[in-house]
Amino acid sequence: MSLAAEAFVSQLAAAEPWPENATLYQPLKEDQILLSDHASSLAVQAYLRMCGLPVQVLCRVNSEFMSPSGKIPFIHVGNQVVSELGPIVQFTKAKGHSLSDGLDDVQRAEMKAYMELVNNMLLTAELYIQWCDDATAAEISRPRYSSPYSWPLSKILAYQKQWEVRRKMNAIGWGGKTLQQVYEDVSQCCQALSQRLGMQPYFFNKQPTELDALVFGHLFTILTTRLTSSELAERVKSYSNLLSFCRRIEQTYFEDKSS
Amino acid sequence: FYFFLVQSLDPLPMHGRDLGVHPDDLIEPPEQEQESKQEILENKDVIVQHVNIEGLGRTKEDLLGYEISDVFHAKSLIDVMKRAHVARLRLLRLGIFKDVEVLIDTSEGTDALPNGLDVTFEVTEIKRLTGSYNTMVGNNEGSMVLGLKLPNMFGRAEKLTFQFSYGTKETSYGLSFFKPQPGFFERNLTLNLYKVTGQFPWSSLKETDRGVSAELNFPLGVTSHTLKWEGVWRELGCLARSASFAVREESGHSLKSAVSHTVSVDSRNSAIFPSRGALFRINQELAGYTGGDASFLKEDFELQLNSYHHYCYCGLVLSASLWGGMLYPIKGQPSCIADRFYLGGPTSVRGFGMYSIGPQSEGDYLGGEAYWAGGLHLYTPLPFRPGKGGFGDLFRTHFFLNAGNLCNLNYGEGPQAHLQKLAECIRWSYGAGIVLRLGNIARLELNYCVPMGVQSGDRYILRFTQICKISVI
Repeated sequence: MSLAAEAFVSQLAAAEPWPENATLYQPLKEDQILLSDHASSLAVQAYLRMCGLPVQVLCRVNSEFMSPSGKIPFIHVGNQVVSELGPIVQFTKAKGHSLSDGLDDVQRAEMKAYMELVNNMLLTAELYIQWCDDATAAEISRPRYSSPYSWPLSKILAYQKQWEVRRKMNAIGWGGKTLQQVYEDVSQCCQALSQRLGMQPYFFNKQPTELDALVFGHLFTILTTRLTSSELAERVKSYSNLLSFCRRIEQTYFEDKSS
Repeated sequence: FYFFLVQSLDPLPMHGRDLGVHPDDLIEPPEQEQESKQEILENKDVIVQHVNIEGLGRTKEDLLGYEISDVFHAKSLIDVMKRAHVARLRLLRLGIFKDVEVLIDTSEGTDALPNGLDVTFEVTEIKRLTGSYNTMVGNNEGSMVLGLKLPNMFGRAEKLTFQFSYGTKETSYGLSFFKPQPGFFERNLTLNLYKVTGQFPWSSLKETDRGVSAELNFPLGVTSHTLKWEGVWRELGCLARSASFAVREESGHSLKSAVSHTVSVDSRNSAIFPSRGALFRINQELAGYTGGDASFLKEDFELQLNSYHHYCYCGLVLSASLWGGMLYPIKGQPSCIADRFYLGGPTSVRGFGMYSIGPQSEGDYLGGEAYWAGGLHLYTPLPFRPGKGGFGDLFRTHFFLNAGNLCNLNYGEGPQAHLQKLAECIRWSYGAGIVLRLGNIARLELNYCVPMGVQSGDRYILRFTQICKISVI
């Protein structure tokens, strides 16, 4: 399909209301999903819950390869597939659901800047710890990532993924960092988020935005995932307002809905 | 109506079986010109005292011993000639000599018997490294093939081949090692290492296969057998963002490890334009018991019968064929889109789009777990025989009737229900056209066909045509 035709189809799809049978795909929750993917998936789920859009979560071993961008998660809505938080926010906006409409231009720019910060620091740090820290890669990431496959494909795919991430880390200059430096970066990022949040319930006061969803997705996952060392969670735990922020979103958007 | 001309040349197989020596050649009598001398010498007893091979470089002599030893058993001169001729063809068949000449002379030296003969084979070895380049066009796709071959690598007719093929739909690399059993060329072992990247627009699917395989070929009576193990890492993906979700769900990696066995009996006189003989081939593949993620049992067969009739001063060839196959998923695993059968197009049910019959989702064909297809063809020479005895003989007129069906079976039901399912909604087509033979490797068809029994979702092409390929129903 040409680009123009594709754009036309997505315009057409945008006009349709949000269907009841929307689904979100992610890797197997128990045995396969990794910290960074879980964080991204949780961020999207939090965002959709904040928008009040129903979505069913399906776990598939091949979600990464089903995704049009190769990234997790992706949603299947009507006959559209959209992956990652940014495009999903755009997509829901086209359907008339948005959390950031109430913000002015300055706030919106600020929100985007903080979202970039989370993606560049927290997400990259998660990827670094998963694949560049040898202990975590050997004990957690490679076994979990390759769990659905049989030997020798499991080994090939796990090392291929590790190599790919390490190459990316080298490209963005993280290749030479030590684990301690990465923890420092996480602390700095949390410090910035903690200061911005202050005593407000959400980053932009009363109403949650996609930034809240993103921060929640990452921090909640870091706090609740067991890694080879608890250092990462400890760094986040030293910011009490971030902890209560996570608890607040969990209680408001996750516990209520499930009960 | 309009015609499309498409030509297809299949790449030469990477095995050693294509050396162009037909079994018939082996019993070919020696040349006529020797007849006059033979009259005198024919009944005279001779003894072959020495058989020499000259011109050997890297070829090991023990290998050739098997091929030429039969010459020693000759009792008369004509026998010597016959056996030497057969030995010469056997040597050429190894694919390691450019040329072989035979010299028969009376024995000389101290131990020479009065009726002793020496036979000398003068051979010219093929170069250590040979290269080839081909361009192929067929079924709306083109490709270029580069090949490098190390014939006779270790001196015993082993062959190492590297092939790189770059095409509009398919790109592949392959490294293959071929090793025949000394003295029994038909019994051979082939090891392959390959990577193939292909696009299947009818399914909006792209597939990358990286695999290794080991193949053992051997004849048994009139049948020839192939035992094969194959391990393939398959990577499936969508060809475009617009691919149907059913295809998207199949994306990802899988490992197939399968053993397969093929038996075939081929008595046809040509693979492209057979006029006599039959072909029967049955293939079974079992995946999942030697490792890997894919588990299934796949059976398929092919039957082709040809008969020649002389009628009204011209030869008519009537050809009937039947194909069928079934895929049975085991261990409760659903079948994979890459393992299922596809049907339709110029090589099977003419008049239908390429692999565009059967189960589909949003316009993407998903293939089926069972199929059958049949064809009835009548080939005649061109009307009024233009170019008779020359160019015109490459052409045939062709009337055909094709039928087939592809579907998924519910394996909980009995065979009765399966047959009924396969008999429902049969797709068929009929038409006429002209067939052109291109060398011994390809055929080109120009058809006018009418598809019938079109079901909703099938893609068909009324009144037109195309073609190709070696294996045609």
